[in-house]
Formats: sequence, structure tokens, C-alpha cells
Amino acid sequence: MYYDALRQGLAAPICLTWELTYACNLLCVHCLSSSGKRAPDELDTTEAKRLLDEWAAMKVFYINVGGGEPMTRPDFFELMEYSIEQGIGVKFSTNGTLLDRRAARWIASTDYLDVQISVDGASPGVNDPIRGEGSFSRARTAMELLAAEGFPFKVNHVVTRRSFQGLDELHAMVTGMGGQLRVTRLRPSGRGKAVWEALKLTQAQNRELYDWLRAHPDVLTGDSFFHLSALGQPLDGLNMCGAGRIVCCVDPRGDVYACPFVLAPEFKAGNVRDSSFGEVWQGSPLFERLRGWEVGGQCRSCGAYDRCHGGCMAVKHFTGVDLDDPDPECVRKPEAGSTATLLPLALKPRAISPRAPAASRTVGSGPQP
Amino acid sequence: MKLSDRVRLDDAVALRPERFGALAYSYRDRQLFFVDHALLPFVESAGGHTLGEIAGDLEAAGKVTKEALPRLLTVLEGLRRRGVLHVL
Repeated sequence: MYYDALRQGLAAPICLTWELTYACNLLCVHCLSSSGKRAPDELDTTEAKRLLDEWAAMKVFYINVGGGEPMTRPDFFELMEYSIEQGIGVKFSTNGTLLDRRAARWIASTDYLDVQISVDGASPGVNDPIRGEGSFSRARTAMELLAAEGFPFKVNHVVTRRSFQGLDELHAMVTGMGGQLRVTRLRPSGRGKAVWEALKLTQAQNRELYDWLRAHPDVLTGDSFFHLSALGQPLDGLNMCGAGRIVCCVDPRGDVYACPFVLAPEFKAGNVRDSSFGEVWQGSPLFERLRGWEVGGQCRSCGAYDRCHGGCMAVKHFTGVDLDDPDPECVRKPEAGSTATLLPLALKPRAISPRAPAASRTVGSGPQP
Repeated sequence: MKLSDRVRLDDAVALRPERFGALAYSYRDRQLFFVDHALLPFVESAGGHTLGEIAGDLEAAGKVTKEALPRLLTVLEGLRRRGVLHVL
């Protein structure tokens, strides 16, 4: 019913991702923003607060804060508190490595704040070759700290052909600790491009995943598997590409992109240092074009079009597929490439130091003990 | 939900005007709700008038038909059950 209204764009995004920094103490092989190093020209605290002021005036309900590792920013706590004070709820994604007891208490005692911890396998053996040696153990500690505070955290899991068999185990682990599992789709964005062929789900796994998600309504997906809705009853969610329509991404430098999975010059709509965010959201030629566009080509004559709407623009873009062609993982297409589950990875993540780095604990307002 | 009821939005719900009416967001359970133009006067009435009075005004202005009223009441009841609206 609201498909056309959403496709034509909203007064303000309902899913606004703010990549706060490209700095990260991990170097995950599939990082969609190729994070690792801080951009020297990232928005400073004053600029960041000005942006939050504008979002509040536009009635942005909440923001998804990510990175990089957002907790590496010295003003992380200050900015999150400022956002909430302005009436903008915060959902932030973290690798959990900097989340100590004090941070867990702050999270649990702050209203309108959600946290999701990234875990890409049910065991170190699956997770660590993707996210870095030691990262599973540190993420697990963060979960335990939040669980001890009685906080209903979320775990975000990018499901890959390596982790697929462990979905039940991960689901049991997270829910057993009082958390909620969120499963998201691997994209060939950023460093993900180099590992896409080795980690993307096989068609058999995609079909099984559809059934698994239908059988587990408590598992969140952030609407990222709408291409699988072509298999039958649509999955929960809007089942459409929201890029530039209901979704956008602001990067650490203030560049505004159509979605967090297309951090590419072709999908950059503007920069908040050159014009206001509202001007970019409402008037950028790129966003206007996306709001008038629907996937065409052979998808339009497919019986599943009303359920998947042609799939994910980002996956098409980074695999060199025309945007009017079907999603490379279209479930009505035959398998392409190997179906082996343990293909070698072209990249290696960075091992994490066994000691917790002190970043972000000593600077800024910080959480109160 | 009855025509004699008065309703108000939950304190944890924010409304944002949109082309199709408004979006409502519940900070309590992080849910989004679509509110179309026909529904909006009821949702933002803040208990000032009964649902029947609002419906009467909308009918007189040609914005809502009598036939559409049962659907609107059903949607309002749904919003009440989800904690978005409260009956005063």
C-alpha cells in the first residue's frame, strides 16, 4: 500500500546510517566501508552536533551509528548523549572490543539507546578468520557485560557460506543471554568485494535461509534479504530498495550516500559541509533520480517482482551488473560459481591485541561510573 | 473503539508529516506506523473532540465518506492495541 509513497521518498530518512569514523581496531575482511584508518578530515564534534541539530529539526526519529568502530572516537559518548537529548534515538553498532563494564552500565541506564555487537560466526573458528583473531572472545565478553546489566542487546551477524551451518547455535547463544539476533546480508561493498565469491551464500543456503527466517520471526534482518521474498510469502519488512528514498548514509567526512552499502562516487549525493543535510536529502539530483526509478528489464515480467522489486542495488553495482538486471543472487537464477563452503579468502583480518585498548575511556564527557 | 471515544497519542510516540499523511514512531518499542490523510485528524486530536465529532467534520468537508468510517475505526483500534493511541 505504501510502496509508491516510500519509493518516491520521505520528508526525512527513516533509516539514517551515520558512519562516525573510519578508524577501527579490527580489519574485517568484508568491511563494507573498508575501515581501518581514521580519515584526517572527519567531522569534528561541533560539526557533528550541528548535524544532529538539523536531524532533530527534520524529525529524524533515530540514527544507526556505525563506522569503523564508533567507540574509538573520543567524543563518542558525548555525541550519543547529545543525540538522545535532541530526541533522536540511537542504535549503534560496535565490534564490542571497547565495551567495558562502565560502558555497559551507561548503555543500560540510557533511554532510547540500542546496541548491536557484530559477530560473524558461532565460534572463534568461524568468526575470527573473518573479523580477526581474538575478536569473538572480546565480542562475547561485551555480550556478557550487557547481559549482566540486564540489557537486551542485539547481535548483528553477516551470514556467509562459512557461518550458515552455525545459525541455530548462534541464535541459541544470543537468546540464551537475553539478546536478540539480527542477521544481515553480505554485500560486495568495500573490502567485501574481495571476498564476495568466497563468502556469499550458495543458492541452496539462500533457500534454506528463507525458510529459517520464516521459522524464526524473533530474528531481525533490517529488511536486507528482500531478494529472498521471491521464494514465496514475503519476509517481514518493506521488501524494497530504500536507497535515497527512505535510507541514506552520512560518512565520517560528511559525504551523503544513497545507502551504507554504496559508498561509491556514483552514489554520493552531496556533503554536509557544502550544503545542509536537508538540501541534499530533498534536492540532490541523485536522490531525485532514484525516487523516480524502478528496476526494469526482465524483472518487470517476473511473477515475483511485487515481492522483491529486483533486489539490491549495491550488490548489482559492485558486481558490475546493470541496475535494471536481476540481483546477482536472484533465487530464480541458477547457481553461479563454486558451491564449496570453505573457499580461501583473499584478505586476512588483523588480530586484536589481548589487552583492551584505552581509547575513548579518558577523553570527552564519557559515561558516569 | 466507539464514536464517543476521545483519543490521544502515547507520550513516547512522535509524528512527522509526510506526503501520504504522517509517520508515527514509537520510541517505546521502536516501531514505525503509517498514518494516512484520513486517519491523521483522529490521531492528532489530542482528546479535543470525540471520534464522532471529528468524523462529522471530515464528512461535512467531503474528506471522508460514511462508508470509510468502519475501516478508520478498525485502524484506530489497531493503533490503540499497539500502544500508539490511548482512549481518554
